[in-house]
Amino acid sequence: MSRPRPSGALGGTSVPRSALATRAATRRTILRGAALSGLAVGGASLLAACGGDSGGGSGSGSGTVKFGINEAEGVGAAHDRLAAIAKAYQKESGTTVELNAVDHNTFQESINTYLQGTPDDVFTWFAGFRMSQFAENGLITDLSDIWPIDGLNDSFKQASTAADGKQYFVPISYYPWAVFYRKSVFEKNGWEAPTTNDDFMALMDDMQGKGITPFAFGDKDGWPAMGTFDILNMRLNGFDFHMSLMAGDEAWDGDEVKLVFDTWRKLLPYHQADPLGRTWQEAATSMGKGDCGMYLLGTFVVDALGENGEDLDFFTFPELDSSIGSDALDAPIDGFCVAAAGKNQEGGKAMAKWLGSAAAADAGNNAADAPFIAANEGASTSTYSDLQKKSAEVVGAAANIAQFMDRDTNADFASTVMIPSIQEFLKNPDDIDGVTSSIQEQAASIFG
Amino acid sequence: MTYETPVAAAPSSAVASAPRSDGGGVALGRRRGTVATVIMAVLALVWLFPLLWALVNSFREYDYTQANGYLSFGGWTFSNYEEAWTRANFGLHMKNSFLVTVPAVLLTLWLSSMVAFVLARFSYRFNLTLLGVFLAANLLPPQALLIPVFRMFREIPLPYFMSDSGSMLNSFWALILVNTAFQMGFCTFVLSNYMKTLPYEIYESAQLDGASVWRQYWQLTMPLVRPALAALATLEVTWIYNEFFWATVLIQQGDKLPVTSALNNLRGQFFTDTNLVAAGSIIVALPVLVVFFALQKQFVAGLTLGSTKG
Repeated sequence: MSRPRPSGALGGTSVPRSALATRAATRRTILRGAALSGLAVGGASLLAACGGDSGGGSGSGSGTVKFGINEAEGVGAAHDRLAAIAKAYQKESGTTVELNAVDHNTFQESINTYLQGTPDDVFTWFAGFRMSQFAENGLITDLSDIWPIDGLNDSFKQASTAADGKQYFVPISYYPWAVFYRKSVFEKNGWEAPTTNDDFMALMDDMQGKGITPFAFGDKDGWPAMGTFDILNMRLNGFDFHMSLMAGDEAWDGDEVKLVFDTWRKLLPYHQADPLGRTWQEAATSMGKGDCGMYLLGTFVVDALGENGEDLDFFTFPELDSSIGSDALDAPIDGFCVAAAGKNQEGGKAMAKWLGSAAAADAGNNAADAPFIAANEGASTSTYSDLQKKSAEVVGAAANIAQFMDRDTNADFASTVMIPSIQEFLKNPDDIDGVTSSIQEQAASIFG
Repeated sequence: MTYETPVAAAPSSAVASAPRSDGGGVALGRRRGTVATVIMAVLALVWLFPLLWALVNSFREYDYTQANGYLSFGGWTFSNYEEAWTRANFGLHMKNSFLVTVPAVLLTLWLSSMVAFVLARFSYRFNLTLLGVFLAANLLPPQALLIPVFRMFREIPLPYFMSDSGSMLNSFWALILVNTAFQMGFCTFVLSNYMKTLPYEIYESAQLDGASVWRQYWQLTMPLVRPALAALATLEVTWIYNEFFWATVLIQQGDKLPVTSALNNLRGQFFTDTNLVAAGSIIVALPVLVVFFALQKQFVAGLTLGSTKG
């Protein structure tokens, strides 16, 4: 501790206390004392230089765009791609891009204070309801004048549109949720990806007969089971019902939702038991080791296996109701918004438009060791892995794309109502009425 | 008390023979002592277990533990530490933590020692009220003040050379001030109680000799409360260094986060290498442990400081 030291003589413990008060101090020691005491404050002002040096008075000067990204340096490809995109834009447009990298979870959790505080001009965000909420509150800038963007089709435009019919978002990439399996395990057992409900049930029964749990399953983190709810709801009640349920326009205690939970209850014996004590990474590992046959998850399942995914393949969840089919799936779209409180609105918009281009996607994919699946159809697919090529195909063929529950609905509803409710259901699958009526009660108070 | 065994005998034999040879009271005390030791050992183990578990696993490879489970043995490596240090950019964030902690601790001690001096040495009508206010602020949960403080800081303009956001947000100033404000209550309380224990006669003689109030504070009181200041400095360094809440709220720029918040850099969007995070946590906890072990005496003194005299 560099606590200001009083003059040495007085501080010594050998001096009797009574002598301390009477001891004459020269004027110099008093001045020194005052100066040292002032140091505590003066020292702090030295900090100003340190505190401000990273930005260097760049402020809001034209030609500088602040770019906030939700991947911290060092996490690997996810950060490298965004950093490369920023660099490419800087090179191409001559605009200085100032990168602000914050880790994914912190960024997401503090997004509200971020947007209301001193946000960057352009920032990474998600399509769907969560973008729409910010648009309603006036926190993000209307981007309808930069749309349409070459190479982004109508479904992406739809995903970028808020409730008021204007676009507030520019997509760059996406990843699908599907049923993943090990090719080698399927080959060894002579299994094939099922397309109909009967095939699906027969496959799961066969797996159980061979001592393999059909579905790996973990919901300790709370969100992975949302994927199961989404896909069951879309298969049983259709995409349109799913979306209006997510928007709070349908009853959560109605027969449709009860049917979803009831079907899920019947499927649970095919899932790993006690999912609440297992993270998705552990579940993925048991699929990777062959203890489980399949795993319903996003393409990021590869990350947990510590391999390149060559032995992985996937199929979309088969149809459960032939009148509804299986042409809808979760494929969360990532992209960019322009913050309304950003200082360089024009620069931000110009950059956002470029970020939607094929050139941006290529710049990102060429610079990182793992590519994302570009939203822009013009983007090169030469760096894609087989899994990604297939992902692009499957998503391209899908008639309807949902964004995943925690992006399609109110963020508070997803995290404070749906996570505990689904976990409650998994703990006690027989009390469907109790779970659905409790969700409905809370949904009514949140959606009003 | 007479022992049959010689005093110079090895401690183990003394322990073994003691219950037999001593009176009932001592034996009971010994049994009680054993029970207390066992309870304390169990409690210590319960507390230490997660930490030791993290320490052990921070030296193991993720792939190994994932394939063989955490109850297995093997997969030893140092690479988690190297990777954690570079990936989370701890060098930069340690510097940030340092830039916040040191001024905040100095400022807290300086300001609260001045308040405490006045509260302890002069009797105004508002003395008790003022001390009460400081204490009350200490009881207030910081979360309750989140929105007011955030909005207030957003409205306070700072010149660009002090904060590149143009406001208090996103600057170390905000963190230093907030930490100082929240720690002052406790420090003032402790210091004023400590200062009240100083004999009043010293001040009378000082006054007779013509020492000004400033001199009484700086040259008389401050040297005498040095033990208290040392103890508080130790406590405050750990508390402010460990502070997480305000940093995540007030700082939105990744490269300005202090080290506690930067630990999150080790988590990916979906995937988290828990062994790597364990290694990172150990690195982050090290400075606090060093401060604690180096200044252990002050640390313990700080916990009971001012508790004997009101």
